[in-house]
Amino acid sequence: MSDKPVNHARAAEHFIEDTPHLQFHDERLWDMRQKRDAQMHILPEWQELREEASRIKEHTLSRLPEYLEQFETNARKNGIHVHWARDGAEHNRIVGEILKAHNARNLIKSKSMVTEECDMRPYLAKQGVTVTETDLGERIQQLDDQLPSHIVVPAVHKLTADVAKIFAKDYHTDPNIRDPHLLAEAQRQAARPVILHADAGMTGGNFVVAETGTFVVCTNEGNADLSATVPNLHIATIGIERLVPRMADMGVFIRLLSRSALGSPITQYTTHFRGPQKGGEMHVVLVDNGRSARLGMEDFWTSLKCIRCGACMNTCPVYRRSGGLSYGAVYSGPIGAIIDPTFNERKYSTLPYASTLNGSCTNVCPVKINIHEQLYKWRRVLVQHHEMPFVKREIMHMAGKLMGQPRMYRAAIKATEVSLSTMPRFVLYNWLNPWGKHRENPHPVKQTFNDWYRKNRKTAATPAAAPETKK
Amino acid sequence: MSTARDEILQALRANRPTPENHPLPPVATLGDLDASRERFITSLRILGGDVLEPVEGETLDQAILRRHPDAKVICSNVPEAKGTLPVEKVKTPQDAAAIDVTVVRAPFGIAEMGSIFLSEAQLPINSFAHLGQHIVVLLAADQLTANMHTAYQERPEFKTANYGVLMSGPSATADIQGVLIRGAQGVRSLSVWFT
Repeated sequence: MSDKPVNHARAAEHFIEDTPHLQFHDERLWDMRQKRDAQMHILPEWQELREEASRIKEHTLSRLPEYLEQFETNARKNGIHVHWARDGAEHNRIVGEILKAHNARNLIKSKSMVTEECDMRPYLAKQGVTVTETDLGERIQQLDDQLPSHIVVPAVHKLTADVAKIFAKDYHTDPNIRDPHLLAEAQRQAARPVILHADAGMTGGNFVVAETGTFVVCTNEGNADLSATVPNLHIATIGIERLVPRMADMGVFIRLLSRSALGSPITQYTTHFRGPQKGGEMHVVLVDNGRSARLGMEDFWTSLKCIRCGACMNTCPVYRRSGGLSYGAVYSGPIGAIIDPTFNERKYSTLPYASTLNGSCTNVCPVKINIHEQLYKWRRVLVQHHEMPFVKREIMHMAGKLMGQPRMYRAAIKATEVSLSTMPRFVLYNWLNPWGKHRENPHPVKQTFNDWYRKNRKTAATPAAAPETKK
Repeated sequence: MSTARDEILQALRANRPTPENHPLPPVATLGDLDASRERFITSLRILGGDVLEPVEGETLDQAILRRHPDAKVICSNVPEAKGTLPVEKVKTPQDAAAIDVTVVRAPFGIAEMGSIFLSEAQLPINSFAHLGQHIVVLLAADQLTANMHTAYQERPEFKTANYGVLMSGPSATADIQGVLIRGAQGVRSLSVWFT
């Protein structure tokens, strides 16, 4: 994997160039945010639910080893095989071995961000296993050989015509179809035989209940249920942070998840797996992949509370106008920007800057992660670790020196005002001035604040001169 | 050599925040506690499901045909409906793919969401709930619980079933340009018949 920092700004530039895509993306995600708000407003207990969810998650994370052991004991009692994977490579090896032991060549799977983290599909392809995504959005992304651009709606950056083009190639449908119903039907027809002939099924897990050894999967299409109930071998890949202590805690989370994600009260399917079906075999792979280390980061461990609803993405002005793919990472948007650097600090060093720090992400988060504060804190960490682009670093250096010396600062401000009103554009707008990219420099003013202050306040002894006393 | 399990648990023990600072809150029961049939029906319709209303003098089999006039293969796992395919014929998970309408009974429903619960206790085979084109669900009106909190606290099925699914309306997707489509990969429609 290349460590070269992701050029989020350039990728976003590319995304913005296409107006119809940009406009749809922006409006669709904002619509999801508004539907979420409508749900929030009909539940007077909304803030209480968020507080409960946050406290349950923080509690669970503080006792994660005990709850994981409790889950393992209960799951084994119910006949589930439990595996542990330190990282993606170990996860892939475990899954590969289970499939090999069953001589399974065709795997159908529902959405799982952890398997994306592990980059599992290419690994299994090399083992001769055909992996078919069954979630519509995820399947579109698989056929287009792209990462999911959103954790809930993976193909949200595409328009109907894009999907028609992709399906025409792989499903031999008419490339001119413009009715999403026909395309969804094409997916249903193409997926059915694959599902019926699959040797194994794979799902993720939204929640894991320690008390009962259960894992819970939420989907709208029912594709996780098909993946888990048609083949007799079911493998679930789950991040170790997904636990809740008691079955009764699920009430809080199910009431929040889909409302925060899509603004629908609940996902169409909420499935509780506690053991294999009759004649079947069930495996759970618990994946660490950096999570245990993240738990030790004082400023960032609460990002492990995330229930992957995507509300922070839907509300983020930067995400809505740059698209998930521009983040160049498995996790995009505000939540991605605070967890991606824990996977690779250098590669994802640019992502915490993909934010205006407006705090909207924090306000909509159903488990109350202080996302915008963590974005700010990541910037501090990255500067300390020298993971900062050259121009930004030099500008900050100069700014720091200037602001530390009032006399020099005042002189610089004056000089800037003079240059803004006199210099030609090519001097003012170039690569040394990132502010001037896609936006105009501030208008030059006739008088600096300092000049105004000297004239109006320093010498003005009479209270009448003070603006706040004027009527 | 230590195992992955030991290493992960050890790292978590070393890195976790102080447990005493994060006590477990008591189980919450919040929100509307109305467990009425009216609330259930309103919620069910929001999620795209519907009620199969009985017509005077009609049997359940007739009502199913009225709702699904083109159905050729109807398979019932309840004594109230006969169907066209004896449920004993459904032996493997794949067998359920040939069914147009499956008929089952849910042990309970959730008024807040219009959800119905199904587990292996109500299904001849788990795929029965998903591979058929349509599903008709029998539900006793006195087996409604108010909301998700009461459901998880009161219903023992969540702790006993190996496979327990809450279905809230039919399968759906909005993955192509945000257009909501009912009947994505699972059942195309879900109808509730109150008993």
